[in-house]
Amino acid sequence: MLLLLLGNFALMAFDAREANSQQRVIRVWTQTSADFVQSPVTFVSSAVTNYFSSISSMRTAQSENDALKQRIQELEVEVQNNKSSTFENERLKSLLQLKEEIPYKFLPAQIIGRDTSAWFDTSIINRGSLDGVKLNMPIVTNGGLVGRVTAVSPLTAQISLITKDKSGLGAVIGALGASNALGVVSGSGKKEILEMGYVPGSIEVKVGESVYTTGQDGIYPAGLKLGEVAEVRVGSASEALKIFIQPSAKLSSMQEVAVLLYEPPPRPEFDKSLPNAAKKK
Amino acid sequence: MEQVKITIALIVAVLLQWTLRNVFEPFAFIDFPLIIVVYAALQGSSIRALFYGTLAGIAVDALSGGLLGANGFSKTLIAFIVSEIVRRVYVDNLLLRIPVIAGACLLDDLVYYGMHRLMGQEPTGEFVTTLAYTLIATTIAGTIIYLLLDSFFAENVRKGKREVFTQRRQTRRRNPIRLGSRR
Repeated sequence: MLLLLLGNFALMAFDAREANSQQRVIRVWTQTSADFVQSPVTFVSSAVTNYFSSISSMRTAQSENDALKQRIQELEVEVQNNKSSTFENERLKSLLQLKEEIPYKFLPAQIIGRDTSAWFDTSIINRGSLDGVKLNMPIVTNGGLVGRVTAVSPLTAQISLITKDKSGLGAVIGALGASNALGVVSGSGKKEILEMGYVPGSIEVKVGESVYTTGQDGIYPAGLKLGEVAEVRVGSASEALKIFIQPSAKLSSMQEVAVLLYEPPPRPEFDKSLPNAAKKK
Repeated sequence: MEQVKITIALIVAVLLQWTLRNVFEPFAFIDFPLIIVVYAALQGSSIRALFYGTLAGIAVDALSGGLLGANGFSKTLIAFIVSEIVRRVYVDNLLLRIPVIAGACLLDDLVYYGMHRLMGQEPTGEFVTTLAYTLIATTIAGTIIYLLLDSFFAENVRKGKREVFTQRRQTRRRNPIRLGSRR
């Protein structure tokens, strides 16, 4: 009986159609019941398929990733090159500007090394005696005076910074010829600070005034900018001023410098003969 | 073979001393050649250490604004003193080497500075600051480098230990049972 009932029910279902869509009800029911099986199976199968497809795509992604990384590195190198080219361009421009400012011939040079001892602060440049560099030639940048050559080899030269040089150089505060504030500038031992002495206490010196070389020391030519007055310590009127100067050249970060091919004029020999002795003609 | 390795280490140390300051200023306070010279002296061969000290010192002086030979003098002296200490005192231990490298660095700087003052030169670096920074930096770097070198020269270290401590003579123990049986 049950079988019969089920058979009849099946026939009815097979024959029956939905009122709206005119679909057989059996199809609708089959689809609905199949959904309970299909959905999980599809979910699992799609997950498995996705997993395997992701593995296969990972392989291509890996190679693609490598190619992109390489491309990024290439671009980074290119950007870095562009940056360094820009910096170099600026430095060379400043050297060109220097050529306009300074009437002497100069030789562009690059700093290739620093002092090996912590007790000294000299630098090595890539120009030597073969390029015409000689001992005590001044070293400048577009900012101003940097130092002088203290040792020369055929291909390189050692330079000593003005901030570390204990031997003094003649300097004047303000324009040469118009100012009486003459003195001697030497290294203070501190980084990026120069000390100026022997300026009479009666002379008024203002912070920010420019300091130039006078050429009296027999090493540096006159008119090179040293820096600007950073501090003035005033004593009594009879006491010399103590002046601290901020160098205008960026001494700690310079890479390109110029060797000034300047040789001081020979000094006339002193007359060593006795006052009453007969003069040689 | 050990000589070759130490010579290579010394060449590398001099090259580092020449170049690293240009990369980063505080590297100037590490005295790489001194570290290797002290290491060579710690190996026990005083003559070799003296040569290493002289050569490394002159190589460093060649590119320095200081007197040529000042570093050579101080490092030769240090090599001699350390090798003499090694002959008398057991220092084949990293913890004992730390005061040795610190003392060597301090003495090296004092001799270097003193030699310049004796010759009428004045180093531009501030005395106390440069001395303190060099002492700290060289001691730290020396300790790390000795660890590396010890792993590199591991075979020689073990050999050295064997030489320092000669094998104890093993006295044969008398068998108490046999002693008893004699009675």
